[in-house]
Amino acid sequence: MPNKQIPKKIYDQDSELIKKINSGKQELFESLVLRYEQKLYNFGYRMCGDASDAEDLVQETFLNTFKYLKNFRFETKFKNWLYRVASSICIKKRRKSRHAPDRELSLDEFIPHEDEHMPTAIPGWASLPLDNVLNNELSHIIKEAILSLPKKYRLVIVLRDIEGFSTLETSEILNLTPSNVKVRLHRARLFLREQLKNYFSHDK
Amino acid sequence: MTNEQHNHQHCLELFKQLSEYIDDELDESVCKEIEQHLKECILCRVCFETLKRSVDICRHTETISMPASLSKRINMLIQDAVAKKKCTTGR
Repeated sequence: MPNKQIPKKIYDQDSELIKKINSGKQELFESLVLRYEQKLYNFGYRMCGDASDAEDLVQETFLNTFKYLKNFRFETKFKNWLYRVASSICIKKRRKSRHAPDRELSLDEFIPHEDEHMPTAIPGWASLPLDNVLNNELSHIIKEAILSLPKKYRLVIVLRDIEGFSTLETSEILNLTPSNVKVRLHRARLFLREQLKNYFSHDK
Repeated sequence: MTNEQHNHQHCLELFKQLSEYIDDELDESVCKEIEQHLKECILCRVCFETLKRSVDICRHTETISMPASLSKRINMLIQDAVAKKKCTTGR
């Protein structure tokens, strides 16, 4: 007989609640909504750049989660499963977007050019204390820079650097290999760095 | 140092690994090599510091508050879904 590996069960702060919901106390689903709605909204807003689209995403995610909660097997954290649902909705959204078209970012486009002047010191925006650099205008620049990333890179950077998921968790959420997550994240970060560099060089 | 020197294989290798270095996902020996190189190459150091700062800025972006009405709307939709489910299973 083949030696089938039984997946490890993962129990966390949500497990008891989910068991109760699945055993008939469906009104408790509200507690799950309360726990994750704000985080999911932020994720949706970063992905879509628009309040109404972000609201739609949160709504659709919770409705799908409610519908399929019975199928949840505790083989991953509930939170990761929830983000998997949200990410799939994001990927499927084919609506016309003012944002970046899908394209590959190549590492070569970010390698410092030969004609780039030789720096003699770390630029101020990277060496000053972070609090001196953060402001509303920069928040806007970051928001737009993330939105101008092709979706597959945007998903990775939002999950990793904004939502704080690990490489492994992100690979699980997006059904990618960890090395694929790392490659996309690196390119997305380099893209963002270019945008920030441009912003700060014009800001002088 | 010239830019030609910067395009040296060592710099390119480091350039590929910068994010993993920032995320502490590399072996100790590789980290030591990178640290040594960063001490010697100003262009790579600028590249590293600006990338690290870009990540820090990203990590410190404010959370966008959701509208209060959203919570109510979701709960109403879920209540509807619960009622429908009970109706179906009750048949």
